[in-house]
Amino acid sequence: MTEGERRQPPLVETSGLGKRYGAVTAVEDLNISVRRGEVYGFLGPNGAGKTTTLRMLLGLVRPSSGTATVLGGEPGSPQGLRGVGALVESPAFYPYLSGRDNLRVMARYCEAPPSRVEEVLGQVELAGRARDKFKRYSLGMKQRLGVAGALLKDPELLVLDEPTNGLDPKGMADMRAIIRRVGRGERTVLLSSHLLGEVQQVCDRVGVIQRGRLLIEGTVEELRGGSGILVRVEPLEKAREIAAGLDGVEGAQIREGLLMVDTDPGRAADVNAGLVSAGLRVSELRPVERSLEDVFLELTGGETV
Amino acid sequence: MLASLGAELLKIRRRPSTWVLPLIWLAIIVLLNYTLTYALLSNVPPPTFPDGTPKAQQERVREQQEQFQEQQLRALYPENLVRNLIPGYPSVGAPIALILGALTVGSEYGWATFKTILTQRPGRTALFLGKLLALGVILALLVALTFATGALSSLVVAALAGGQIKGPPPGELLRALGAGFLILSVWASLGALLSTLLRSTALSIGLGLVYSLVLEAVIFNLPINSESFTNARKFFPGQNSSSLADSFSTQAPTQLAPQTPQIDAAQATLVLLAYTAVFVALAVFVFSRRDVE
Repeated sequence: MTEGERRQPPLVETSGLGKRYGAVTAVEDLNISVRRGEVYGFLGPNGAGKTTTLRMLLGLVRPSSGTATVLGGEPGSPQGLRGVGALVESPAFYPYLSGRDNLRVMARYCEAPPSRVEEVLGQVELAGRARDKFKRYSLGMKQRLGVAGALLKDPELLVLDEPTNGLDPKGMADMRAIIRRVGRGERTVLLSSHLLGEVQQVCDRVGVIQRGRLLIEGTVEELRGGSGILVRVEPLEKAREIAAGLDGVEGAQIREGLLMVDTDPGRAADVNAGLVSAGLRVSELRPVERSLEDVFLELTGGETV
Repeated sequence: MLASLGAELLKIRRRPSTWVLPLIWLAIIVLLNYTLTYALLSNVPPPTFPDGTPKAQQERVREQQEQFQEQQLRALYPENLVRNLIPGYPSVGAPIALILGALTVGSEYGWATFKTILTQRPGRTALFLGKLLALGVILALLVALTFATGALSSLVVAALAGGQIKGPPPGELLRALGAGFLILSVWASLGALLSTLLRSTALSIGLGLVYSLVLEAVIFNLPINSESFTNARKFFPGQNSSSLADSFSTQAPTQLAPQTPQIDAAQATLVLLAYTAVFVALAVFVFSRRDVE
């Protein structure tokens, strides 16, 4: 994402968005913003309120409170939906129609040129099975048809809700490759998932939601915190002073009998050389990188995804 | 709305049930209205007489039977096409239209496809009206098909029986086409409304059929002797559908239920138009306001 894109108004913005079903609060006081050109991961456990939020952003469900704008318009308005493609939950199409005819139907609804049908079939690698009826498709093929349907309008914003749900490992890898491919360039992708690895691999920024509330929002790097090098060295206090003064090191702290050096793990050799040349005894260096899963478990108090 | 209409027509014409149900009706017309009636009338055994019946009396009875057969056969000829077909609209066509209406909307809930098409941008009102317009196109085709099938069958009967081949008066035919379309429309829109309210196909078809085939008849036969009740019965959709169909009959209406109120064609047309408008407006209103899960 370029600096120019960062300065533009968000494509999706919510303010105090909430949805209640009787006594049950599905989403509460949600504030997220999705910037132009990024792949935004909407992360949370099953039942956290991700799908309800996406449904509100697409105008399928009316919010109980708060507001949202999508591409500058009201969610669900024909004007706003002109630039939005979406796959919400499991892909739903007409079982008696072929994949191609299903897309033809969708193309008529969104007034996309008929030639787009063949283009998107090619993009999701489904052209060879386009004549088969939807009811004969495997789950992976159904998901790919769902993405194809979402791409028909060549949308500015692509909303994908758990696109790898239920797929086998190969299907998941294929789908991630498709998402990366369609997310290239200026297209913005809002990807909801409960799969941490998937979000870490694909997304630029992440919003973490739990029990309907946003816990944190930021880039994947911001969420994971700084990476560093953990050093077993003696004496510790002197080592901390020397390490803090080395080039490329942003800081050094003592943690549980070890020295944590905030720097790029690729600088391990430089850190080692600096400490050894000061006469310190270094017995171990290892890179430390928090995964998104570590962050998520910290934020959610261990609730599984 | 035209975009939605185009999409709906593509879907609806590829759907097997769109054609299976009308084919059943067409088969009923060919087999029951014409083939069976013609076969029965052509194979009436000659009358038998006890010994000693005067010859003149035997001749008179034979003549009466032939006249009766001739009269019944004439009812199958093209000139009587309207009177032969239109009674089938409230009795057979209405349930078929109700099922088509319920399937058109209810299946989208069953397949969860409303969320897919609504995110493609048509807008809720345009989507729903496009759907109902497509249903209207199918109903218009169905009316044309029933009359074409009836016309073809009546031509075959007239040719076989050596009868006169003369079509119905054009004015009567046009009025019948309109009346048939209106009767089907009111029941199809009821099916669409029920499946919108219930978000289901099976339940809406079940309830709709129970109402059209049972409930209205039960209400009509309630032993209530009150003028307001009698007046209220003039505004039921089934009663008005039957009255509109009966208005094409040249015979006096058969009074199976003696207290059945008589409704003229103009009133029946207005009542059915009002029902169609209310059913459509209510369905659009509910659909445009409710969450799509």
